[in-house]
Amino acid sequence: MAFRVQFENNNEIGVFSKLTNSYCLVGIGGSENFYSVFQGELAETIPVIHASLAGCRIIGRLSVGNKHGLLVPNSTFDTELQHLRNSLPDKVKLQRIEERLSALGNVIACNDYVALVHPDIDRETEEIIADTLQVEVFRQTIANNVLVGSYSVLSNRGALVHPNTSLSDQQELSTLLQLPLAAGTVNRGSSAVAAGMVVNDWCAFTGMDTTSTEVTVIESIFRLNDANPSAIASTMRATLIESMT
Amino acid sequence: MAQVRIFESSFKELIGDEVNFLQIAAPEISDVKEKPEEWMPSSVSGLICSYCKASFTDVQQQREHYKLDWHRYNLKQNLLSRSPITEEEFNEKADDVSSISGSESEKEDNLESIATSQGKIFLKNNKGVVFSLYRCLLFGKKDELDNNVLLDRLQECHSNNQWTVIMLGGGHFAGAIFQGSVPVLHKTFHCYTVRAGQGGSQSAKDNRSGTQLKSAGASLRRYNEAALIQHVHDIVEAWRPEIAKSSLIIYRATGGYNQSVLFGGKVPLINRSDGRLRTIPFSTRRATFTEVIRVHSLLSSATLYESFETLANVLKHEVKETSPKRSKLKVNNINRAKSRENIERPLPVICSSRSNSSERIICPIMVEQLSDDDDLYISEQEISTKSILQTFDDSLTFEEKQKLRKKSKKSKSRNKRQAERDAVHKAKMSELVRLGNIEDFELYIKNAKVINDDSDSKNGLMNQVVDGHSNTLLHIAAIYQQFDMIRYLLEHNADPCLKNNSQQTAYSSTQDKDVRMVFKNFAAEFPEKHNYNKAQIPIPIVLTEEQLEKKKQAKKLKREKEKEKKKETFLKKQEESERERFLKLSEREKRALAAERRILSQGGMVTARCFLCASDISGKVPFEYSGNKFCTIECLKAHRLAHPTVLY
Repeated sequence: MAFRVQFENNNEIGVFSKLTNSYCLVGIGGSENFYSVFQGELAETIPVIHASLAGCRIIGRLSVGNKHGLLVPNSTFDTELQHLRNSLPDKVKLQRIEERLSALGNVIACNDYVALVHPDIDRETEEIIADTLQVEVFRQTIANNVLVGSYSVLSNRGALVHPNTSLSDQQELSTLLQLPLAAGTVNRGSSAVAAGMVVNDWCAFTGMDTTSTEVTVIESIFRLNDANPSAIASTMRATLIESMT
Repeated sequence: MAQVRIFESSFKELIGDEVNFLQIAAPEISDVKEKPEEWMPSSVSGLICSYCKASFTDVQQQREHYKLDWHRYNLKQNLLSRSPITEEEFNEKADDVSSISGSESEKEDNLESIATSQGKIFLKNNKGVVFSLYRCLLFGKKDELDNNVLLDRLQECHSNNQWTVIMLGGGHFAGAIFQGSVPVLHKTFHCYTVRAGQGGSQSAKDNRSGTQLKSAGASLRRYNEAALIQHVHDIVEAWRPEIAKSSLIIYRATGGYNQSVLFGGKVPLINRSDGRLRTIPFSTRRATFTEVIRVHSLLSSATLYESFETLANVLKHEVKETSPKRSKLKVNNINRAKSRENIERPLPVICSSRSNSSERIICPIMVEQLSDDDDLYISEQEISTKSILQTFDDSLTFEEKQKLRKKSKKSKSRNKRQAERDAVHKAKMSELVRLGNIEDFELYIKNAKVINDDSDSKNGLMNQVVDGHSNTLLHIAAIYQQFDMIRYLLEHNADPCLKNNSQQTAYSSTQDKDVRMVFKNFAAEFPEKHNYNKAQIPIPIVLTEEQLEKKKQAKKLKREKEKEKKKETFLKKQEESERERFLKLSEREKRALAAERRILSQGGMVTARCFLCASDISGKVPFEYSGNKFCTIECLKAHRLAHPTVLY
């Protein structure tokens, strides 16, 4: 299911939240409305955690993560790190990285298996990403834009990219990521798709402005209609694919 | 490249009746490359990399490709909207270019920017002769370069050849008025205005700190600054008519203070908006008369180039000269996206010469063997001179120098030869000591004794100074931590008291504990052999049994004495307190006590017991509390606590 939410009258909910298959981070807001939407939908399956990074609420743009791990920028305070460590499931690795491009959410897009990164990212960071998030890392641009994290959203079931991505590029990305891919918008035509929505394998949240057409595209490309985290897509995927190849 | 003074008639001829600006910039190679033909991927499946224009047969291949440097490079090229390069091209590039960041310097500075950066303009007359002169002669700072006025200005330049040059800086003033290249009026002077330690003018300092310091120097400088302004004012006023006639006023006045001298005040000396004002377009030295003349001659000369090509060559040459600076700047911009490559640095001269040294020494011999040939003979000469020179070079080690010296000189007096032999001998010894090879050393010493067989006794041999720092063999052994060698040397009468140039004995020349231990042990074993005080070796003190016994007893005695003293003081104290208590008693009690004592002394029984513990206190001065008597203060306390007084 895709849900429409707002963060204090702001539709860019991808900025204030981070959703993965094993945890959900929510920025600390003035009211609990935003939090309770996530809480109501996810609390049964994954922890929903109030968080701030470097004293900021824009956690979605500052951090990047998947079910294996969470990367936070160098500016994160020790107390925040400790809080995250205490709240995250034990299996999730937490790592603070020294990277010049500190808005990790804007320069890295990932699901549980692959990651697209900004062409200028450090070699060391690239290695940390590969180790912590257990993903294959590709340096890419999306529609000639280096901020791959802002202009693409990946889940294990599909990907949504900047509306200007050419068809051949979509095809190339799709084979590279091994995912069905669609170019689309959120929030009534915003091309910063990652800022306007968050998604995991069974559920998506979009800004309140998102039109029903956009929601339809999102639901179909991320296959949210058949609900629930399926074992085939998450836990059994590795084994299945190994046996198939 | 010839220089022409612009006041000469040859310059006038050069100008002729038509001069144009030279178009230095080569006809722009159109940057807009014709769009490369649209790349059509051979596979429709998406197994492609659109940045590198490569297609793949399977996904694995594609994924591998995305991790290549080639892909990274092309990705960056793409972001700079440049066309991608093929893998072969990239490999070539990666070999000779250390950086594959893909962001090479943007378009090398073209010739024009280099040319104009020197403040010159390049002109061409109708005969095609290219020449350059300083832009400031013709145009002010804000003037546009205009072809129409160019000729007029050039001719004007020639017609009125009176220039005024004024330079101000650091309390120096130099001014002159030139007619042609002849200075008709000139004046220089210097005032002490610059703060000696820190630099900068006094007024600037005063303004900055807000308070005027009252030191003698400060007030002197303040006065001088005012005097300088006055002085310059006087001079310029005196020259006013000449200045008014001159076609250019060229000045240098850097900094607020110097500017204010010329342009400041209620009635400025020189009008800032004067069209004839020019600054000097190159750096100058201290304002002196010679410097003024230099500036004038530089400004008033035009450079002739045979053709455009020579000009281009000259400019390119300049680019090359300046390029190291630029590359340094580039280094600052570290590309963190790539791991640092290993730069192969040349070995320091001393190392490389060492590794080559054997070869170098062999060379002349080899050449001698082949010396029938004339060519080879020449080359031999070359090498030998080189080796002679090398003895004076810093880049060789001491030993090598010795070797070279030994080889090269044959026409030396016997004395010198002796000295050389000594030096070699010392070098050899120190080498052996350094390696700690005792057997070889022993053998060598024996041989040396046989050879030298004269004044040098073995002692002398051991205590020789063997290097430039007047280290002895013992020093060297200590520095190189040759424990056995130290021991050996010490046993063979090497003197540990000798000091090197830095006033260190062998012992103090090393910090190593083990080495020092060797010295200490030796000193303990042979306490009489040397003056270890002088050698700075601390000797561990060993006591005899007898002395130990004595010490023990003395200690015991002392302890006993102390004990006794303690006892005494304790008794004394007790007595004192008792006395005090007794004094406090009333007359009646005193009498009672005396009676008690008397009875006791006569063998009678008086039972006075402590109220609490019931011990016998007859004859003692009791402690009293609310009419009860106690043996000690503790008992009293206990009683008091047990029966607290209740206040009603």
